[in-house]
Amino acid sequence: MPVMNMIEAVRDALKLEMERDPDVVILGEDVGKFGGVFRATAGLYEQFGADRVMDTPLAEGGIIGTAVGMALYGLRPVPEIQFSDFIWPAFDQITSEVAKYRYRSAGQYTVPMTIRTPVGGGIKGGHYHSQSPETYFVHTAGLKVVCPSNPYDAKGMLISAIRDNDPVLFFEPKRIYRAAKGEVPEGDYTVPLGKAKVVREGTHLTVIAWGAMLHEAMDAAKMAEEKGIDCEVIDVRSLLPLDLDTLVASVKKTGRVVVVHEAPKNNGFGGELVALLNEHAFTSLEAPPKRVTGWDTPFPYTLEMEYLPRAPRILMGIEETKNYVA
Amino acid sequence: MATFEFKLPDIGEGVVEGEIMKWLVKPGDILVEDQPMVEVMTDKATVTIPSPRAGKVMKTVGKEGSIAKVHEVLVVLETEGAGSAKPAPAAVTPAPAAAKSNGASETPVRATPAPVVAAPRAPTPAPPSANLEGVKVLATPATRRLARELDVDIRGVRGTGEAGRVTMEDVRGFAGGAGVQSTGTYNSQPIPQLRAVSSPATPGALEERIPVRGLRKKIAEKMALSEAHVVPFTFVEECDVTALAEARERITKSGIEVTYLPFVMKAIVAAMKKHPTINASYDEQANELVVKRAYHFGIGVATDAGLTVVVVHDVDKRSIRDVSAELKRLSADARASKSKIEDVQGSTFTITSLGAQGGVLATPVVNYPEVAILGIHKIKETPVVRNGQIVIRKMMNVSGSFDHRMIDGHVGAAFIYEVIKYLEDPNLLFVEMV
Repeated sequence: MPVMNMIEAVRDALKLEMERDPDVVILGEDVGKFGGVFRATAGLYEQFGADRVMDTPLAEGGIIGTAVGMALYGLRPVPEIQFSDFIWPAFDQITSEVAKYRYRSAGQYTVPMTIRTPVGGGIKGGHYHSQSPETYFVHTAGLKVVCPSNPYDAKGMLISAIRDNDPVLFFEPKRIYRAAKGEVPEGDYTVPLGKAKVVREGTHLTVIAWGAMLHEAMDAAKMAEEKGIDCEVIDVRSLLPLDLDTLVASVKKTGRVVVVHEAPKNNGFGGELVALLNEHAFTSLEAPPKRVTGWDTPFPYTLEMEYLPRAPRILMGIEETKNYVA
Repeated sequence: MATFEFKLPDIGEGVVEGEIMKWLVKPGDILVEDQPMVEVMTDKATVTIPSPRAGKVMKTVGKEGSIAKVHEVLVVLETEGAGSAKPAPAAVTPAPAAAKSNGASETPVRATPAPVVAAPRAPTPAPPSANLEGVKVLATPATRRLARELDVDIRGVRGTGEAGRVTMEDVRGFAGGAGVQSTGTYNSQPIPQLRAVSSPATPGALEERIPVRGLRKKIAEKMALSEAHVVPFTFVEECDVTALAEARERITKSGIEVTYLPFVMKAIVAAMKKHPTINASYDEQANELVVKRAYHFGIGVATDAGLTVVVVHDVDKRSIRDVSAELKRLSADARASKSKIEDVQGSTFTITSLGAQGGVLATPVVNYPEVAILGIHKIKETPVVRNGQIVIRKMMNVSGSFDHRMIDGHVGAAFIYEVIKYLEDPNLLFVEMV
């Protein structure tokens, strides 16, 4: 089985789907001749031509608005927002149109669109290239919001997203575009959306993370193991719909939970997860649920690695949670 | 050989301590299993506690008249066979509740091998227990669940965690009765420190301070509760019991011993069938009037320790003769402080018999959360007018108090007249008899 990084896995998925289905089209800033700033679409313009791989102006509202029209017309657009920090001009299109068409038309129309966009920090990009805006979107009914943490899931979930008849916001953790490598099957396979994955089994405490933070969480779990703490680590993968059953089952087993995300803590998705676990696993809780997150500040130009909830800080959260006497 | 520490078990109803009335064993005695060891008077009743095991008494803890706390060691036994010095492992499943209202066991309290905290699963909300009421506990949800599973009232567990947090270990220690020294003890904070007060009167002192505890404390709480909740009104009417007195005389002459009270109780049952809301309690939490289908009547009995309300269960299903015999037993037991838990709880309505010093009228205090109480006065030969003539009849007054929040004045009055109707013409009672 070939070894790929995240970018190669994403590109492979796009290529396969475009070969399989002529309705799949790509549009975005620098996605065509240039092949994408992260090279995710490299070679696709050459293979499929300008009619299916379209360079657009720097106008995110226009990119998504155009893609809505394409989707209603019957295509399967895969627009790219070059950095998720740039997504705001398209926020109205995404939350008001993309997410609502099925509901508004009583099911007559759906928007089979997959919005790909790199997310997160750790690339010395400053606040315009580093943020994690997932929480703004998981609040919106009608969207699916996913974030893979490895090449295998990236390819399998992107294929699932493109084939989905409803809109999917596909967040790609850019820090691990090249760092995360793994075996990826050649050809066609899918990873279902809406399913979390227990990446590491453990008994003392549950660590929940997604995207690039999954790797920090795994590092923290290894450090914790040396201190005799046995962590279970769960990759959420799909934030909306959320695989609550897997999370609840784990927390019922361990009684303690640490949620990790890059976005600021205040009103972050971790808050929702903690609330859900309180509702569904209340009587199993042996310690206050803990959030280890980015700080409640703008994403900084400097001290980027201090902003991110990296393994040593996660470990502190793990130890604090483990040592809480129930 | 092994030693076994017997701890005062939780006998339910929120009772946290009891006064040692009488030791039935002393160090050196050889006991068989189930042999009575000690009589303990709690807020509710006096109970005889049997030994859960055979063995030799090494030590008894506490003198007669002193207070024994639930879960504290009462007796140390030397038992046969090797084993740990600790008591038997804690029963994880709830043992049969220490004293259930229906059980008619020989011994009032069945002590289980390990003291098991067995809060009674009362169908009605447990009466507010002064000691643990309002106690806020610091504990995680999982610890609280563990406490529920082990039938431990977490409010009574002293926390050893940070800031006094009750830990799982504390709960387990409490349930096991063994455990670490610092665990498994009752939280002493909310329990009023009445014992510090000296009781014997010093000669020449201008006042004497008598500790209020046991039955007197319970009465004080119950009365305050009634005063705080109930809006009472009292309705008094006279009743001509000449016919009833004749009937009773005939019955007595035939050799059957019976007092007036059973007739009154039967009259009340008959009147309640017509006015069912009188036999009820007010559930303020749910804002519901709970109308009772059972007729369990509490009867006030004066004892040396204070007023006790004994309960005759299922008055509607018993004969007058049976009710009479039950009343006799209950009164005797109450006066001897021998009432079992089931003899003093579960009433749906209360009667206070004012006896020889009955007076003209009284304002009985409603036995909260019940909604009505009936006082019956002395029977007196009184000149009354019948058909334009002054005649001498046997007259008795009845005073009913009602919770006006639930019972309107005309309903209370109608109920009293209905009771009087049956008492004035006891033949009517036959019609209503089951």
